[in-house]
Amino acid sequence: AQTREELARELPASDLSGGDAAQAGRRFLAAPGFATARVADNPLAPAAAPVGEKMCVSCHQLESEHFTHTLHALGLFAAAKADARIPVCETCHGPGSAHAQQPAAPGLILGFTRTSATPVAQQVKTCLSCHAGGARDHWAGSIHQRNELSCSDCHNPMAKFSGEGLLARRSINDTCAQCHNDVRQQFNRRSHMPLAEGQMSCVDCHNPHGSLTQPLLKTATVNETCYQCHAEKRGPFLFEHAPVRDSCLNCHTPHGSNQHALLSAPVPFLCQQCHSQLGHPNDLQTPASLAGGAHPDERLMGRACLTCHAQIHGSNAPSGPKFHE
Amino acid sequence: QADSGVGVDSWRGNKLDPSAGAASATTDARGMSWLRPDLRRSPGGHLYVCPAESPQMQPIGEWEYAGRVQLGYLITFGDDANGHWNRYVKWDSGLILGLLEIALRRPEDGSYADIRASRISDDDAFFQAAFGRAGSYKVEAFLRELPNVVSGDARSIWSGVGGNDLRLIGGLQPGRSSSAEVAAAAAAAPRRSLEVVRSKTGLGLDLYLTPQWSGYARLSEDRRRGARPFGGAFFYNFVFAQNAGVLETPRPVADSTINMNLGLRYAGSAWRLDFGYDGSFYRDRYTRFDFDNPFRIAPSQPGASAPPVERGQFATEPDNDYHNLRASLTRRLPLDGEFSLSAAAGRLRQDDDLIAPVNCQGLFGIDQDGSGQPGPANRFLYACADWNTPAALSRRSADLQIDTLLLDSRFTLQPLQRLHLRGGLRFNREDYRNTYLAYNPLTGDYGYIAENAAPGSILGGQTGIWNPFAARSILTRVRSIPLDQQEIAAHLGADWRLSERNSLGATYTFTRDEPSNRERRRIDDDSLKIAWSNRAWERLTLRASYTWLQRGGDAYDYRLYAPAYSSSLPGFVAPFGGLPAPVVEAMRKYDLSDRREHKVDLIASYALREDMTLSANLRGDFNNYAAQIGRQAYDTGGISLQWDWQPGPDTQAGAYFGYDRSRLVMANVNEEVFGPDPRLGGETFPDTARWWAYDKQRNRSAGANLVQRLGRVKLDAAWNLIDSRGITSFRFNSPLALAYFEDGAAALQGAFSPLRYRVDSLTLGFSLALTPRHSLRLFDYYERGRLQDWHYQGLQAGSVIDHRVYTDAGPQSYTANLIGLLLDIRL
Repeated sequence: AQTREELARELPASDLSGGDAAQAGRRFLAAPGFATARVADNPLAPAAAPVGEKMCVSCHQLESEHFTHTLHALGLFAAAKADARIPVCETCHGPGSAHAQQPAAPGLILGFTRTSATPVAQQVKTCLSCHAGGARDHWAGSIHQRNELSCSDCHNPMAKFSGEGLLARRSINDTCAQCHNDVRQQFNRRSHMPLAEGQMSCVDCHNPHGSLTQPLLKTATVNETCYQCHAEKRGPFLFEHAPVRDSCLNCHTPHGSNQHALLSAPVPFLCQQCHSQLGHPNDLQTPASLAGGAHPDERLMGRACLTCHAQIHGSNAPSGPKFHE
Repeated sequence: QADSGVGVDSWRGNKLDPSAGAASATTDARGMSWLRPDLRRSPGGHLYVCPAESPQMQPIGEWEYAGRVQLGYLITFGDDANGHWNRYVKWDSGLILGLLEIALRRPEDGSYADIRASRISDDDAFFQAAFGRAGSYKVEAFLRELPNVVSGDARSIWSGVGGNDLRLIGGLQPGRSSSAEVAAAAAAAPRRSLEVVRSKTGLGLDLYLTPQWSGYARLSEDRRRGARPFGGAFFYNFVFAQNAGVLETPRPVADSTINMNLGLRYAGSAWRLDFGYDGSFYRDRYTRFDFDNPFRIAPSQPGASAPPVERGQFATEPDNDYHNLRASLTRRLPLDGEFSLSAAAGRLRQDDDLIAPVNCQGLFGIDQDGSGQPGPANRFLYACADWNTPAALSRRSADLQIDTLLLDSRFTLQPLQRLHLRGGLRFNREDYRNTYLAYNPLTGDYGYIAENAAPGSILGGQTGIWNPFAARSILTRVRSIPLDQQEIAAHLGADWRLSERNSLGATYTFTRDEPSNRERRRIDDDSLKIAWSNRAWERLTLRASYTWLQRGGDAYDYRLYAPAYSSSLPGFVAPFGGLPAPVVEAMRKYDLSDRREHKVDLIASYALREDMTLSANLRGDFNNYAAQIGRQAYDTGGISLQWDWQPGPDTQAGAYFGYDRSRLVMANVNEEVFGPDPRLGGETFPDTARWWAYDKQRNRSAGANLVQRLGRVKLDAAWNLIDSRGITSFRFNSPLALAYFEDGAAALQGAFSPLRYRVDSLTLGFSLALTPRHSLRLFDYYERGRLQDWHYQGLQAGSVIDHRVYTDAGPQSYTANLIGLLLDIRL
């Protein structure tokens, strides 16, 4: 008697619409980004065979409708028309015959959710079969990889949830805030970069896919990352301020601060952590030195030290060694 | 547009809708799947949001399109000119384009075109257009206007704000006005805001050449224009009452940066290559910025006189060029491993024309004998012509350059099913090319003209000049200090999989920093990090890590800056009693001092129900610095909880609470005498003059949001609170520690008034689907901000205090309200 597997293999190709659609597709070559897409490998269903997306849609009709409006779908459907070897659903989900026979059995189809039996490493391997390299060059060994994050923790190509990037949430910031909401809350503080206002995102400074630096910075150093938007601070300056050239984080806290300009401590105390020279830097000030106090003192009022040492990031003036000009 | 590996501008939204349209899309009432009505969770345990309704694509020949436009009218009330209410947004009352979104698709070959735009006001808008073919190429262009109000309550005694030549208003006479006259002019000056608007334009191409080779080319310009509170130093007004000057001038911001990213990438099954070039070219419209000084500056020596100090100057940030070539080569290894080698060579260069040491005309300094003639008999009087010209410089342009080199190699291996190994070496170097000698070939003097010649007009010998003949014992700066730096780092780590979803990891990292001209020439960091990632429990995901770091290094030498001072020049004669101690020897700058750090991180998410998630963060970072003087401790810690509930497509709710604290402890010591003894507890820095300061910050965050659809009606509400409080307190051994001895009479400690920042914002929205293609949204956004920063205490009453002028009155509390009516039309 014929086994279910033999029957499944003998089923006609599920492209029930006949040859004309396939014929019409030949006008275009498959786009290079999709040209090498093949049925994904699923170690948990070694015997499964591809069944074609029409078989999938017969059950997953609503998922398919949402999927259709994504860039993945746009590319895969077009590529599949141009080259019949290119699958659509099975590019990511692996061969579907075993799953079609036992839909409830875990692991017979590559799944990317919490309850799917597919190991995270296999999920990531599937995505990297097309998306390796470039921004994901240093995924292996990165902190997100070591913490067993899957691509589908941050991305969801099954529907268009966000304006860009097939994210799992409505924006890059909301996606990162799933796990890092404590950092997201810092952007509500008094001085902050315009992340909460939707004008920048975590990915302007960090590469969540891994990078050459421990905090996943997009460039080789803290300063080079900041210079991407603050090029005026790049210099080099005639007279440098050493902790500035060493790292912007010596004085600033990047995610948000209740001080002026993301400073990590109130001036003048911020400066007095390093400056104890004779004369005016090492005096302890009291509230009596504020405007309206017994002896207003410019070393404490307003922007304090920075009102005189205004070029604190470095001066290009021959008379600027103390950052006055 | 940037990808997550290169470049910025990765997101374009605004305060009206930070999600750039996604949040206001209508969710699909059918949910995500008919097979499983409940929502799915990501492997990390977070609920996926409900997808939006699929756009109704309308055919146009081979293409199909869908679009949406949201037009609206906003009206604001209350303190709607407040700087903080407008910080990164420009809520002009009136018509707005909330969103324009058009998507064109050609399914046949996967071609597409997208347009997205929004305009709240002239200075707060974005437009982006992209077209391409999925998996083949993408061309994108964008325009953006980003507002940034840096002061909402400013008064300027100068005209020409935004330009580089500020002139006094109100009939004030440069160098001759009294404090009362300046105060009157400031009081009469109109209140205004100071802001910087960024205008960004960009063009990008991403291209697949073959299935393995891809490339990108991006070009953008980031133009800034506006003004911000800045500075202007004319010596110490706190020492010389009714003399000297401290001016918070509104400096111009007028620059443009051209950024360029080019890259070629290869991703094969065995090899991967990533070649990239990043170029960035900063140009400031101005090389200098000049401003009038209103105050009369006079010698403290009775009988002497000084020409008026009428003008001040700044050199603006120099035009600079940045180039960075990088390459990354990755080879797959057996045992599911990878080995990658990355190299990058960069150059930061600037050669701006240098401004002269001073911008006066005639004479400057102190005329001791009334002759008005500079010379040996009148040695503190100088001719401006000897110093107000580039000829007075050792070289006329900066000619400075930093060359950087980075080499990084790393590997990962999986020798056993359950064991991952990883490691890497990193070499990073920054080399300064050139230093600057402050020498005036016209006069043979070394040094510079300090603070626009004001100190030298008040005290003889304070001009900032050293001369082997007339001023042999003046200590002044004569050289720049190159900050070469080399870093070597190595890390080795392993991850052991206890079970399919449960793993332990450990990473040891060694870093050696070798700065050339800092108090320490070698700083070593050893750190060990252990991490645990567990998704084995059905409902709980746990990721925890503990990091221990120990920093040490070679001896701390505070005298290393001597070569940059006139004391290192031949012919220098130490003053009577010897040179004063440059600094107390016990000072340890916290980016160099020995340090021990303990850091704890815990991230967890728990599925309370099928449709409900509770996630939590616990974070602690405790730093102890081995410093008697300087920063001694810096601890931060906090907890954050986030609740997410999505019972179905029609309802989505969330809430969060966060509490965090930080504590910074620092110590310093005042001097008793200007003496040569550098020892803490010595004659110069006695123990009685020691003091400590403590900055404690506490932040509470909370928020709740609800979106509920009832048929054609959708209600949305969002409340957000941040309540921050900071206390800076201090204690001291005796009043000798204080700037003002008399302040120590009552007690040996004190505190500043709390730094307060509390913002409550509430948004209530009502949307009605008029027709399947039209919906109307009425919303109210109310925000109340309570801001208090002791630095600005008393400045609202008057921005001129003796010879000090403050342009910015500081952050102001506000209550503002915005009502918006938006018509959403599906095209």
